[in-house]
Amino acid sequence: MLDRMLTHPELLELVNELALQRRIVGPVARDGRYFYEEVTRATDLDLTFNYCVYSPRGALFPPQETLFVFKRTNGTFTAEPVIDVRPTALVGVHPCDIHAIRLLDHVFEQDQRDEHYLSRRAHTMIVGIDCQRPCTEGVFCADMETNAADKGFDVMLYPLSDPGATEPLYGVVYGTSIGRDWVLYGRRGRIPTATDERTFEQYQRHKTDAFPRMLRMKADELPALLDRSYDSLLWEATARRCYSCGSCNLSCPTCYCFNILDETDLSGTTGRRERTWDGCHLREFAEVAGGHNFRPKAGSRLRHRIYRKAKWIRQRTGLPGCVGCARCDRACTAKINSVEIYNQLAEEV
Amino acid sequence: MKPRIAIFSLTGCEGCSLAILELEDQLLDLLGAVDIVNFREGMTDRAWDIDIGFVDGAVSTPEDEKEVRHFREHCKVLVAIGSCACLGGINTLKHYQGATGPKGRGAIGENGSDAYRRYVYGDKAEWFPTTEARPISAVVKVDYELPGCPMVKEEFLAFVTSLLAGRTFKLPDFAVCVECKKRGTLCLYEKGILCLGPVTRAGCNAICPAFGSKCEGCRGIVSKEALVAAGINLREQYNVELQEVLDDLRLYGAYQEADLP
Amino acid sequence: MLAPPIPYKPTNAELYLPKPARILRITQLTEMEKHYELAFLDGHRLNHQPGQFVQVSILGVGECPISICSSPTRPDTFELCIRRAGSVTNRIHALREKDIIGIRGPLGHGFDVTEMHGKDILMIAGGLGMAPLRSLVQYVLDERPRFGQFHLLYGCREPKELLFTDDLTRWRESGDVNLKITVDRPDEQWRGRVGVVTTLFADLPKLNPQDTVVVIVGPPVMFKFVVIEVLARRIPQSSIYCSLERRMKCGIGKCGHCQANHVYVCIDGPVFKYGQLKAMREAME
Repeated sequence: MLDRMLTHPELLELVNELALQRRIVGPVARDGRYFYEEVTRATDLDLTFNYCVYSPRGALFPPQETLFVFKRTNGTFTAEPVIDVRPTALVGVHPCDIHAIRLLDHVFEQDQRDEHYLSRRAHTMIVGIDCQRPCTEGVFCADMETNAADKGFDVMLYPLSDPGATEPLYGVVYGTSIGRDWVLYGRRGRIPTATDERTFEQYQRHKTDAFPRMLRMKADELPALLDRSYDSLLWEATARRCYSCGSCNLSCPTCYCFNILDETDLSGTTGRRERTWDGCHLREFAEVAGGHNFRPKAGSRLRHRIYRKAKWIRQRTGLPGCVGCARCDRACTAKINSVEIYNQLAEEV
Repeated sequence: MKPRIAIFSLTGCEGCSLAILELEDQLLDLLGAVDIVNFREGMTDRAWDIDIGFVDGAVSTPEDEKEVRHFREHCKVLVAIGSCACLGGINTLKHYQGATGPKGRGAIGENGSDAYRRYVYGDKAEWFPTTEARPISAVVKVDYELPGCPMVKEEFLAFVTSLLAGRTFKLPDFAVCVECKKRGTLCLYEKGILCLGPVTRAGCNAICPAFGSKCEGCRGIVSKEALVAAGINLREQYNVELQEVLDDLRLYGAYQEADLP
Repeated sequence: MLAPPIPYKPTNAELYLPKPARILRITQLTEMEKHYELAFLDGHRLNHQPGQFVQVSILGVGECPISICSSPTRPDTFELCIRRAGSVTNRIHALREKDIIGIRGPLGHGFDVTEMHGKDILMIAGGLGMAPLRSLVQYVLDERPRFGQFHLLYGCREPKELLFTDDLTRWRESGDVNLKITVDRPDEQWRGRVGVVTTLFADLPKLNPQDTVVVIVGPPVMFKFVVIEVLARRIPQSSIYCSLERRMKCGIGKCGHCQANHVYVCIDGPVFKYGQLKAMREAME
C-alpha cells in the first residue's frame, strides 16, 4: 500500500526544505560513477543513479572518528567523549544498503550501546529508493533477499514512472512518523489512487522477474554449506591471488571492524583516541603483542570473511551479513568473486 | 629536555628536507617541541650532539658512504627519509644504463663495469667516482624509515609526535588500497589503469590515485606475498607480464629488485 | 518550518573512557613480567569475577588487554601481571609506584565460581597462564571450605619464568592445595620436576569424574595435550574450562579483532567451556 504520490519537482522541493535542517548526503555523479557525497541543493543529487561505488556507511560510521579527547595534567588525566549530533539525511539509499544499515544498528546496540554510532544514527533520517531492476551486473541481492526493504527507512520511494520519463513519479511509503511529517509538510503530492496502486502492483511483479538468481543455493542454506567447507582447498587456492589489500572489507556496507589508535599533539599533553576502519583481510588484523598471528595466511583470512558474511553474522544477529551488493567483488583487482566461491563450494558436496 | 634534531642530505634532490620546511602551519609547534641543531637546508649552525638524525638521499658515492657512517656515529636514533634513503630511489635507475646482466642489472659491480658513469659523464667519467646507489640501510643500521617521493610530511610529523609521546612508530603494514577506500577514490583499475596500489605500502593517504594518477610505488613494496599475487593476477586477469609492471616499480625502488620474485 | 529533529540523549557515552587508577605497589616477578597492585582514584571497586580482564591505557600511547590476577574476595584493590611485549606495556614497565594509569573494565566473561562450589578442583597453568589463573586460585583459597580437593599443576619453560614464586611457596606451605611444578629446561639450581606440564598428571590421585572441575589456562599448543589427559580421566567436557588469548582492541564485542571462528573472545570469553571450544577450530591453532 502506498501512502502518498510525489512528482520529481515536489521531491526536490522537499529535499531543499530538509537541507535547511539537516546535512544532505546522497548520490552524486563523479568520474562516470556515483558516490554518496554531501550536497547543499537537491538538484546536485542524481536519483536516477544505478549504484554508488561505496555504500553510505561512511556517513554513519566514518573512516576515522574521535572516541574521546584527553588531557594529561599533574600526573593524572581527564577525558571527554566526542559524540556527533549533526542532523543528517541520507537521501537515495537502495534496499541492500538499508539492510546493511539495519545490521550496523543491531551490532552497535547489541550487548553494549556504542553511542558514537548510535547518536549519529539517531540524528540521521533515511530516504530509501527502491530498485526495480538490478543496478549492475554481478549483484546477488535477490539471492540474499535484500533487494527490497520493508523497514529500516523513514521514507521509501518507489520510482513508478517509466525510465526516461520526463516527469518521474514516486510512490511513497512511510517508515516512521519523522518521514511522514516530512512528506506531508507543505501538503505536497497527492493521495494515491486505485490506478496508482495497480501500477505499484505491476511494478512489484516486474521486479520479481527482473532479478536473476546467481547462487545455486538459498541464503539460509549458506551456513550449512560453509559448515561442510572449512577444510576445502578452495580457500588457499583462491587466496593465492589475494593481495591482502582489504579492498573487499573496506568497500563492504556490512563491515564494521575497527582499529583504535591514539594521536597526540606535539606538546604531548593533549590528544585523542581515534577509531579507524579495519579489515580482516589485512595481515596484522589478528596479530597479538609479541607477534603471534592467529590468521597468518591469506587463505584463512578469506575463509574468515566469507564465514562472517554468510554464516556468523547471521547466527549472531539474525540479520543478513551480506546484502549481495557485490561491492567486494567489484573492488577486488584480483577478481576474487564471492558468488563463484559459494557456487564452487556447492560442487564439493 | 627537548630532543636535538639534525637533518642531513646525501645524493638526491633534497626535496625531503625541504618538505620539513613546508610544514608551515606546524613548523612553529615543531620548533617549540624539538631543537634543530644541524640542518644545512635551513640554518648555518652545525652541532654533532644529536638525538634524532634524519637523512635523505641515497648512498651513491664513496663520500656519501663516509658521511652516513659519521651521521650514524653521532645520532642516537637514525631515520631514513624519502625513497632514496629508504629504497635507493631514482638514483638506482643508473644501474640500468648499458645494462648487460639479468633483469637489467650488472651495469655496475660485475667486472667493475662503469657503463652508467660513461653514459652520464662521458669522457670525464673518471672524475666522478660514484658507486652503486644504495639505501642507507645497506651501509649503516637504520632505526626508522619514512619512505615516499617526497617523504610524506604528515607522516614525518606523526613520527616526531609518536617519539615525543613515547608511542612506538610503525609504518602501515597494508596497501595503498586501504587509503583509497577510506578517501572514497574510484579504483583506477575500474578505468583500466594498472595501478601499483595493491602492492605498495600505504601511509601517503593515497594521494596520487585521488588525483587520477596511478600509484608508482614510491613507498616500496608492502609484502612479498602481494607481489607474488600481482604476478599471477597480471598474467591471468590482465594479460600483462609482471616484468612490465616491475619497470614502473624500478622508478623508485630498483634496489628492492634483489628481493623480487 | 519543518519540526526540528528530535533530540537524542546518549545513555552510554563513556563506553570507551578509561578511569584513572593509582599504582600502589610494583613487584618485579621475572625479567619480563611485573606485578602491579592498583586502586581507582575515585575509590570505586573493580567488582570483577575471576578470569575477567581490563583494558589498560597509557593516554597518548594506547590500550592493551590484561587479565586480572587477584581475587574479588580481596576487593579493595586489584592486581595485574604485565609482560613487556609492546608499546603500552613497555611504557607501563617504566612507571613507578603512585603513578596513574587508565583502566577500562572489568571486561569479558570470567569463571562461573558458583558452578565450582562443592567440587574437587584441578587447575593446570602453562607459562603466563598463571596470571589469569591466580585470580581463581586466590578465590578458592579464600573460600577453601566451599571446595573439595584442590590440585594445581604449573609448567614453565625455564625456572626463571615462574610467576608469583612467593605465592607458590606460601600456597604449598599452607597445605590447602596440592601444588606440582615442572619446567622444560632446568638450570643448575633447579631441584624440582623436569618435563612438560602433562607429566605432572602421573602424580595426581584418582579423580572423581562427576565431582571434579578442571581449569586450563596456557598457550594454545598446551591445550590439546592437557585436554587429552583430562578426558582420559573421564572428566565430562562440560566440567572443563579454558581461557583464551586474542588480539583485542575494543573489549566489548564490536571491533572484530579477537574473533575466533564464530565467537568474540572478549565478550563470549575469555573463559570458555571445552565443549564450546571444540567448535572453534582457530582456538586450538
